[in-house]
This record gives sequence, C-alpha cells and structure tokens, in this order.
Amino acid sequence: MRRLGLSLCLVGLFAPLAARGDSEGDRLFRERVAPVLERRCVHCHGDASPKGGLSLTTAEAVRKGGKAGPAIVSGKPDESLLLDAVTGDPPEMPKKGPPLAVGEVADLRAWIDQGARWPEGLTLRDRRFEGEKWWAFAPLMRPPIPVVKATEWVRTPVDAFILAGLEMEGLAPSAEADRRTLIRRLAYDLHGLPAKPGEVDDFLGDRRPDAYERLVDRLLDSPRYGERMGRYWLDVVHYGDTHGYDKDKRRDHAWPYRDYVIRAFNADVPYAKFVRQQVAGDVIDRGNSEGVIAAGFISAGPWDFVGHVELREDTVDKAKARLNDRDDMLSNTMSTFQSLTVHCARCHDHKFDPIPQAEYYQLQAVFAGVERGDRAYSTVEIDAKREAMASRRREAIERLGAINLTFERLSGPALAERDGALRELRQGLAALAPPTPAGPSPSPTNGYHSGIHPGSDGAAWVQVDLGAPVAIDEIRLVPARPTDFADTPGFGFPTQWTVALSDDPSFPASATEVVAKDARDERRNAADEPYIVRPDGRKARYVRVSASRLWKRMDDYVFALGEVEVISAGENVARNRTVTSLDSIEAGRWSRNALVDGFDSRGERPLPAHPNATRRAALLYMIQQAEAERERLAESSIPPALRAERDALNAKVRAVDEAIKSLASNELVYSVLPRPPRPIHLLRRGDVEQPGEASKAGALSCVSGLESLFTLARPDDEGARRAALADWLASEKNVLTWRSIANRVWSTHFGRGIVDTPNDFGRNGSKPTHPELLDWLAAELLENGQSLKGLHRVVVTSAAYRQRSLGNASGEAKDAENRWVWRQNRRRLDAESVRDGILAVSGTLDTRMEGPGFDLFRFKDDHSPVYDHTAPGAADNPRVRRRTIYRFTVRSVPNPFLECLDSADPNLNTPVRATTITALQALALLNDAFIVSQSKAFAARLEGRGGDLGAKIEAAYLLVLGRPPHAGERAGLAGYARKFGLAGACRVLLNTNEFMFVD
Amino acid sequence: MNGRELDRREFLWRSGGGLGGIALAHLLGSEGLLAGGAGKGKADLNGGLHHLAKAKRVVMLFMSGAASQCDTFDYKPLLIKKNGQAFDPGGKVELFQSTPGAVMKSPWGWRQRGECGKYVSDLVPNLAECVDDIAFIPSMVAKSNVHGPATFMQNTGFVLPGFPSMGAWVSYGLGGLNDNLPTFVVLPDSRGFAPNGPANWGAGFLPASAQGTMVRPSSREPIFDLFPPADAGTSPEGEREGLALLNRLNREHREGREGDSRLDARIGSYELAARLQLSAPEVLDLTGETDATRSLYGLGDAVTEDFGRNCLIARRLLERGVRFVQVWSGADNGFPRRNWDSHEDIARDHGEMARSMDRPAAALLKDLKTRGMLDDTVVIWTTEFGRMPCSQGGKGRDHNPFTFTTWLAGGGIKGGATYGESDEWSYKAAVNPTYCYDVHATVLHLLGIDHARLTFRHNGIDRRLTDVHGGVIGEILA
Repeated sequence: MRRLGLSLCLVGLFAPLAARGDSEGDRLFRERVAPVLERRCVHCHGDASPKGGLSLTTAEAVRKGGKAGPAIVSGKPDESLLLDAVTGDPPEMPKKGPPLAVGEVADLRAWIDQGARWPEGLTLRDRRFEGEKWWAFAPLMRPPIPVVKATEWVRTPVDAFILAGLEMEGLAPSAEADRRTLIRRLAYDLHGLPAKPGEVDDFLGDRRPDAYERLVDRLLDSPRYGERMGRYWLDVVHYGDTHGYDKDKRRDHAWPYRDYVIRAFNADVPYAKFVRQQVAGDVIDRGNSEGVIAAGFISAGPWDFVGHVELREDTVDKAKARLNDRDDMLSNTMSTFQSLTVHCARCHDHKFDPIPQAEYYQLQAVFAGVERGDRAYSTVEIDAKREAMASRRREAIERLGAINLTFERLSGPALAERDGALRELRQGLAALAPPTPAGPSPSPTNGYHSGIHPGSDGAAWVQVDLGAPVAIDEIRLVPARPTDFADTPGFGFPTQWTVALSDDPSFPASATEVVAKDARDERRNAADEPYIVRPDGRKARYVRVSASRLWKRMDDYVFALGEVEVISAGENVARNRTVTSLDSIEAGRWSRNALVDGFDSRGERPLPAHPNATRRAALLYMIQQAEAERERLAESSIPPALRAERDALNAKVRAVDEAIKSLASNELVYSVLPRPPRPIHLLRRGDVEQPGEASKAGALSCVSGLESLFTLARPDDEGARRAALADWLASEKNVLTWRSIANRVWSTHFGRGIVDTPNDFGRNGSKPTHPELLDWLAAELLENGQSLKGLHRVVVTSAAYRQRSLGNASGEAKDAENRWVWRQNRRRLDAESVRDGILAVSGTLDTRMEGPGFDLFRFKDDHSPVYDHTAPGAADNPRVRRRTIYRFTVRSVPNPFLECLDSADPNLNTPVRATTITALQALALLNDAFIVSQSKAFAARLEGRGGDLGAKIEAAYLLVLGRPPHAGERAGLAGYARKFGLAGACRVLLNTNEFMFVD
Repeated sequence: MNGRELDRREFLWRSGGGLGGIALAHLLGSEGLLAGGAGKGKADLNGGLHHLAKAKRVVMLFMSGAASQCDTFDYKPLLIKKNGQAFDPGGKVELFQSTPGAVMKSPWGWRQRGECGKYVSDLVPNLAECVDDIAFIPSMVAKSNVHGPATFMQNTGFVLPGFPSMGAWVSYGLGGLNDNLPTFVVLPDSRGFAPNGPANWGAGFLPASAQGTMVRPSSREPIFDLFPPADAGTSPEGEREGLALLNRLNREHREGREGDSRLDARIGSYELAARLQLSAPEVLDLTGETDATRSLYGLGDAVTEDFGRNCLIARRLLERGVRFVQVWSGADNGFPRRNWDSHEDIARDHGEMARSMDRPAAALLKDLKTRGMLDDTVVIWTTEFGRMPCSQGGKGRDHNPFTFTTWLAGGGIKGGATYGESDEWSYKAAVNPTYCYDVHATVLHLLGIDHARLTFRHNGIDRRLTDVHGGVIGEILA
C-alpha cells in the first residue's frame, strides 16, 4: 500500500497540464484518470499494435474499443468493459504488477459515470518510466571514499569501496598472493601471455617497495597490452574477417580496423576520442586515414552477401536485408558504448527500459546512408607516392596530347572524308528498322558464358561444329545482354578476339584459318549490334571464336556471347549444332548450347532470310569495315618514330595506372561506404510492409542532459547524422558511456563486472554489486585524461586485485559466488591465451604486429568459398605463429580448436565469454595437430639448452608454469620423457590444470 | 525443472567465469536440480523438464537449398490442369532471381498412398510407403526467401546469425543420455557445408558444450581431434601412461585448491575423452550391420551410399543415447548443383537429390520402427523454404518462402495426419500458416519441455528457441 501511495504521488507530478476551459469532468480525467492509464495501461494498449486491438491513447480509440467491443459506455460504468477488466478478484488487468488501487478504480468509475469527458485533442502516451529512478541513468558524481575499519589493508580507493562491502557483509579480505602467482596473473591479464622465466626472476629479486607497481607499468607499456585489450574489444564489437551467412565471402580488408584497435589501446587514446573515431572518424577527421579505418567498427559485424548483392532492388526481401543490416550497426553501437539493449525496441516499445520504438527508428535513421564495403584510405607516405606517380602520368598525357595534335594535322583531311562516309552509313542503318521475328518471344536463355578469370589475359574460346564442311558466307557474333544482370549491352564481348575456321576440332595451327582478328585495346564493344565476319565462302566444318583479352565484369573478367550465326546460302547452319568450349558456366540462363538456340539474350533472332536482316547485316559489315579502314588510315599517316613514342607513352600510362591501382588496393579498409540516406519509417511490428511515420536521426531520451533528436544543418547529410551520434555518445554528460567502459575494465581483471551483464545496464540486466565503486571508477576515468591504461593501473594495483584466489570456509558460506570480492577469482585461460601461451613457451611465437591476418585453414575460392581448418598442416606452420588476434576469423566455419575452448562467436556481440570444460576440449588439447607439433617444437627448444633431462624438465616448468618442479614432478616427467620422448612430456605439461588455470 | 531452477542452472554456467558441462551436471545433480542423474531430465516425467515426455530423442533431416513441396508432398491438380499457362494467382508475384514463367506441373506423377490416402509424388516412392507414420505440414512459411537467413531460421528460429540451433537448445535443456558420446551430433552432406556452414548448428550464446559435434564418416578424420595425427609418433602405451601422469599432476595440483569443482571437472573430462575414443569408432563401424540393413539404407549403391551411411550412423547414434542428430542432404550453392536449389532444371536436379535421399530417409523411419525406437524418437524432415509452382523461364523453379512442407514422425506424432493447407496453386499457405516456431515448440513439447520456459539470459533478453512466438500443434499429436 505504501508503494502504491508513492507511485500515485509521483504520477501527480506528470499529470497532463490542466487547460483553460476544462470542465470538471475534463479535470477529473487529466488529474486522476489519465495518469493511471499512462502508467499502467498505455504500454500495452498504445499505438503501434495494441493488445486485443484496444488502444487507450485517444477518445476516439477508446470509444471504438478493441476486439471485445467499446471499452467504455459513457455514463454506464457497469456496462463498461474497461472497468470490468480492472475489477474482480483477481482483476484481469493490468497483466503485470499489482491491481489498480481502490481509489484509482473509484476515479475511473466516477469519470465514466460523469460522461467520460475526454479533453479535446488529448493523446495519452506511455509514461511507465517517468519519475522512476534507475541506477544506470542517474547523474554521475564521484562518490566519497567510504570510511572502513581495516585501513591497513587499503592500498587504493578501490579497496575502500570493496572493504566497505566486505565489512558490511561480515566478510574478510584474503591475503595477498605470492609473487610468482601475481606475475603470472598480471602477465595473462594484461598481455594474454605467460611471464618469461627471466622476468619472473627479476620480479622475485626486486626488493624495492614499488616493485609491483613497476611491473604493472612495464606491462602496460608493452605492445602486448594492446593486443590483449584489443581481443576483448573485438569480442564486444563482433569483428570477423568474412561476411557470414550463405556464400561466406572473405573480407580481406577488415584487418586495418583490428590494427587500429590495438594501436589505440597501446597509444592510450582518450576514451571519448576512441568512441568518436569508431562511430564517425571518417566524417569528423576528414583526410586523416585513422578515422576511416576506425569506422570499420560500424561494419565489423556479419553482412548478408546474397541479400545485399544478389537480391533484386525494390523487393520486400531487399528491404528486410537492409533493415537487418542497420539493426546490426545500431545494436553494435548501443550495446558496445551504452550497454543498452536498444534492439529490443524494433517491433514495439522496449518491454523493460524507457526506450520507445520511435527512438529505435531514430537510430535506424542515423545509419540510413551507411553501406559496408572496401574503402580507400591514405597516409602521408602513400599520398606522396601517389602524387609522384600522378605527376609522371600527367607528363605522359601532355606529351600524348601533343602527339595526337600532330596526328590530326597529318591525317586530318583524309579522315574527314572517311568520317563523312561513315556517318552516311550509320544513318542508313538507323533508318532500317530492326527485323522482328514472326512472333514476339522473350528469350529463355542469355547465351554462352566462359569461366570467370581474375585477370583480363585468361584464355577462353567457344566453337560450333557445323556437322560437315560448308561454304561460309557470313558469321554474326551477337553480343550478350543478360536479363538477370544490370542492363549491359555488349556484356562479355572481349576486347581482343579472333574468329578462326578449321576442319579439325582441335584447331591445330597448321590447319586453321583466322578470318577475323580484332586487337584494338579500346574496342567499342558496348554495341548491341552483331559483329559481322565474311569469310568469302571459305569452306570449313568448325568455327571458333577465341578471346585473347577478356571483358571486365566487376572485379573479374569473362567472355560471353548471346548468339552465333553462321550463314551459308541464306541459311543459319549453326542453329542447334554442337557447341564446345574451353569452359562454360552451365547455370541459370547461361549455357554453351544457348549460343546456337536461335535466341540472343533478349529475344528470338530474326530469320536470316528476312530482307531487313540481310540488309542490316550488309550495312553493319560496311560500317565495321569502314571503321577498321579509318583506323588503319589514321595509323599509316603517322611517322613510325612518332607512333613508337606514342605506344611507349601509352604503355607508360598503363603501367603508372597499374601502380596507382596496386597502391590503392594495399590501402583499403572494410568500413563505412556513405551514400545519400534512404528514408526510414517507423515499422509497425517491425514489419517492412507496414511503414508508419518517417523517422529523423536521433538517439535516446532516457539519457538526460543531452538532446535525443539531432539538430542538423543538412538533415540529408549522412556523415552529419553519424557525427551527431558520435558526439552524443562521447559526451561527458552521457553517463552510460563512462559507466559502461569502467565496468568493462573491471571485468577484465576479476572475470566478472561490477555489473555482471556488461552489455545490459537496463532493468533486465543485473544491478551493480558496488554502484559507488563503479561511479568512482567512471569519474576517475573522466578526470584522469580518459586514460584506460590509468584505469587498469588503478584496478590492478589494488589490494583487492592482489588477493589470493583460494577459497575459505567462512567466505564460501557467506558468499560462495564471491560477489563481494573477498578473494580473487581463479580463471581458466581463454582460447587465445592457450594458443599464444603455447607458442610463447615453445619459443616459436612470431611477435610481428599488424597487417593481413593469417589463414588457419586451407582456402578454396568458389561460388561458396571453402575454409578447411582440418587440412593437414593448416593448424601449425611457420606462417601461422603470430598471436591469435591476427588470425583470419571465419564466421561460417569456426576454428574447431579455438571454438571448443570458448572463443567468441564473431556473429554476436560477446561481452563475456562462457567458460566450459568438456571432453572435446580434452581431446583437442591432447590430439590437435597444433598441440602435437608445438610439443615437438617445445622439446626442440629444451634440447637446445643442453643440461641433463632433469634440467630440461625444470626449464619446461619455469616456462609453462613460472615455477620450478618439485622432485616428484621432475622425476615423473623425466621418467615419461625417457620412455616416450621429451615432446610427449611437454604435451602432458601443456594439458595440466595448472597451465590451464590462473590462480 | 521450473523457471527458477533454470535461472540457477544458468547462474552456474556463468558464475566464477563459468563451469563446464561436467561440472554443471555434477552440481545440478548434487543439488537435486536434475532428478534421475546428470542431464537426464526428471525421471517421473519420463525425462521431461516441465511435463511428461513422449520422446527422448530427435533426428532432423535437413534438405538444404529448398526442396520443392509441389514435386513431393503437396499435390495440386490445378498445376496439371494449367500446365504451361500464365501463372496468375492474383497480386504481385515477386521471385528471388527471375520473373515468373508459366505454371509448371511436376515432372512426376502423383498417387494416393497408405491408409491415410495422402497424395505423394513418384519422386519419393520409398517415403511414400511411410505416409501412415508421418504428419505433414504443407502450410509452412519462411520469413526470408534467401538461403542464408532462411536456413538460420529453420535451425535457430532467427534469420540472423549467432543464435543457438534447436539441437543446442535441446542439449542445454536435457543433456545427453550417454556420457560416452556427445549429446548433439551433426552429419553434414559429404560434399560440403550447407549455406551458413557450421554456424547452422552453433551453440550461439549457449555454453560451447551445447554445440553440435560434427561427424564426417567419409573424411579422413571423422571426428576432429579424436585421435592424435598419424605422424604424431604416439603409442597406445604412451597415451595410457601419459594420461595417468597427467591425472597424477592434476590431483596434486588440486590439493590445497579444494572447493573448485572446475578442477575436478577437468580431471574428469580426460576420463570422458578416453571413453569417447572407445565408443565413437564403434558407432561409425558399420561392419556389424546385416546385409539386409545395409541394403535397406541403400549402401552399396553409389547414388544412396553417402546419405544412406549417414542415416544408418544416425540410427546407431540414437540407439546409443545421442539426444539430437541432424543429417544434411545438400551442400553449398555452387555449380554443378549439389543441393536442392533447382533453379535450372527441376527434373534433373531434384531427381538426383531425391534419389539420394528418399531410400535412406525411408529406411531410417522403417528401421527405427522395426527396432521399436520410433515410439520415442521424433523424426523431422524439413528444408529452408519451398519452390514456386511456376517455372522461372526454363525448366527450373525459383524460391518460394510462402509455402513449403515439413513433416514429422515418431514419438507422440499422429501418423497420417495433415495440418494446414496451401492454396490451390501451392503458392501460399492458406489454412493454418505455420512457422518454424510452431514446429520447434511441438518438438520441445514432445520432449517434455515447455518452449516458453526453456530460456537463457543473453544481452538482457531471456532468449528462447521460439523467440516470442510459437504454439504446440495439437492437431498432429497422437
């Protein structure tokens, strides 16, 4: 009852303001009834898709009612369904929470009784959350450091907060761990690698009072720190090196973002800048390559290749693919930086947090102009190189221009005459209507399509067997123009090709006659007209068309033809004959047989005897001959020396272009590709076929002190939308941003956060165990130059962090889960630490940073690429011994070794990894090719040290566990090594619990 | 297990950096959260979690690439009548990669089969013999017409990647029936992975122990890392002594670190691994099967050999207590076609796929029945979406997300039943449109699980296999 009273009083504060001219009934509604409806009912009975079809937001809607009929009958409370629903024992409504208070029901009854007056134009809205405090949204202030009893234990302010909690719970902190344990713990926590034996010795021998702090500083200064923190971050942002879904394509330029993350941690970039760069670096910091690379954050997640590339425009599924794509971007952003589950508001208002559906679509609008793809970026050095090349190119082009002027002067008059004749021929052709076949018939096929080649110089040919040698008058090569591809006249028509005749299907050089050859680089092959070849009645059984330079499709090269006709005595003798080819795509509308099926890509070919067909072919032939003749003439009127210079210059331009291109392809990052924003509408039930009102770019209203709707000078500026979101997120006023990252830092060192749902600070997540400590850490970060290294230092130098991990009876009895941090948590090594740690102890770790990832699999490119992690040699070889963060991460086919050790699934945001212990894990650690091969490498390293077997075992212990073995251990492993080899003993050691767990 | 207990279970998974499947089983068992021993549901509920279970095991046959409903189980006389005429079902027809061609009747004839009189096409003559054991749902609908998202949906209930598959959910909810074998086993098509690859049977946010274990009988290493590589230079004696030494070291390490069950669990995991090394090869060894059984599954015939072997191994796995087995018919979307995605030529490509699938799938049903296992094994046959009743210009059929057929058989399923109907064209679901949510809910129901109460908290949401949807299809329950 007390609770209800309190909520009523709060409701009063938010009652819709009384308006002038309100009647008493109006006032009753405004002050007493509406607040109850808004707090308890409108959430479900609201706008978009109200429960039971009943909306309680407007007078009209209430009168109309829902599926069960009108909600109220004015003046008749006992016949009003609304009143019926909220009374009774127990009342049917509200579904959640306590029933309405007696007074509230009485008000409702009185209001209906008095005529159910509803003030003109008043619309109710969901106000469940107004006036209710939630820790995550509360203002952020540095809390005072608590006063504790056992002050001698306190090393840093962190400890005071922890100790205050322990004292309150009647718990005592654990003793400090020994130095060997501490350095092993710190090395894995801050580097993800074991401490080297020499480093352990140094620390054990360092008697200075600040030896520990010095160790921490040394570890924070190492580039291994960025690699460790980078791995956590890439888990959170679901980074991967392939697209995922069907036909999981490689994303070969994603890695610069991974390197950016590592670099940023190592350089200790202030957190606000880190946030801003990732959300809108390409916009905020134009011209700086780092910004473009950092924006790889937005594109880090999975992407539906088929939905985006292969689905046709203007289909429902295309709209769904884009909706899902933006959803991925916005949930990545809001989970990572805000620790909120905004994506839950896609189909309806958020069920637990004050996030209206409309605000979800405001965030959709922020990303409305974002596509993902490879984006060129530059650096100062690259720019200098490119400029030098461009200047060489400019010089060549200038000289070419001068030469061309000379050419024109020399050949001008003769060419002018030819041009006149060509013009007349073309007019003649234009006047001649294209012949249409007897009945209009859309083509069932596109024609012939060669295999796909990575370069223009791939080989391709296709040939027709005419059955017997025939006298050939004419050959017509009809270009393809596929209907299931963007409309492209001249699709696949090669830039260099020949037509040859032979009576031998293998076309031996000795028995082959080339009857047409086209070797001009810049052939106008976009034509839609057939190319006519006239072999003057030569007899042959086989006709072959060969491409020596292929047509550029997108990033690859192909040869295609719609139809080939061979005319002999007015008949097409190629029709339905046997076609062979070097290779061919036999799928969809493509087939080699479609080359002679009487259809080009668009329709049925006219009969060869059709008078217009014959006349057009004759004209085309004359035009094509005249064009060739014109070109020959132009060439021949030029002095050979000048021609040679021109050819050399052209070659130079091509070479420079290639060089510039390769420069660019080395400097691509998979990032944001901006485009004009697409319109975004609120979607009822999240359904693309039920668009509501248009949405403007904005963020969330639940974060106070910041404008949730962005004011943009140019609302259609894609970049401005993201820049506004970046500012909103990175603001010092955004309390979620700072609490979120402070919690992540803590979680790194204790295996669980102060809030143990680091991606959800909402009502469905956990509450902080130490809210003041969290705020103190967040404030510390803000006030100390936003240095994450500084915050890590604060946490790991605390007495709380340095505790032993060992349990004790009284602690277990009071707090078995160790929520109050009365000890450190023993943690199992994560997948990367296992692999990196083993590489480190075997002495084979390759510490090179940056650059393209290494493939831990055999790759075979195909329509659907194949990633085979089980291929022999894939798991361990000298090319794959860099740290695991540099591996090429495949979304569809996880690496089985790392996956069974609980590596993060790059398909989803992973703030905390699960840690499991399974039989398959045991098998992997015993039998995986990596373990077996590394055990041998480890043994070889030990063998190289000399000394007796006991000394080798001792060295192995120091490397793997950071301590010397006891006598029994030494004897046991030495005995095993003598019998089964040192590598076998190493394998056993790498399987121990002591290696797999950090105390 | 009630919702509170599941919370507790979930807490145990996550607490203190998490616990392993074994530790979990140990803890849940010791706390009485799992009556009847580790991971076996409640004895008084026949192994169910929330109510009496009718089935204990599941086998799912997945036809990857989209198997046509109107060439198999969804008979429409109108297609025969209107064959070759314009396809005009009313409204705009939107296809995946083409514009609609003419109505195309199935190249195969149709006949009524069994007691129930269900029409089945001559494409699947062996399955046709089993219709009285099968409940058909010809009114299935998919939420995407793209292979990747739709395949995710049938497996995980979501069109996005990163969600746990049904097998993983069942593993999480019920655990295994035999500690010597994995709980959830997947047999991919021998030619390669279906769209999305192993992400189709991933554990998503569930603990990795819930993920499917891949078994590839025709590969050089049927179970990854089951044994050391051939060139490792190990010997049985060395392995045995090595494990004994490891066990000793781990026990010594545990002294002074009492109370951490994960250390015990890891020690135990090596014992389980050794048992798996013994039992897995036995399951894959088919030499003990009779000639009659081998020929029932089509072994020895090149066309049915691969899928037949996988189906037979599926039965052996189920027999030995594997909880959930998934068998894939169809690989990636490449050329020449190696899955059910018959855009070019339905007669040629569906003909080939169905010949390889029909006999083994029917053999599995008959074999389970003969052995009395069909009573408590649910068999699911499904695909990601259907195919259009019209041609796409040539001889092929384009994608159809609006209707397709899934069928169920076995434990608790009413044989010979049909739930829902497609329209007269087999173009759209017309009566009782059904989503994967309903099928998933029904299968969980048969296993004694309330689909709305099998949850896992992830990123602030209590996730379910059925999202916020799904209802048990009472009409097909026996």
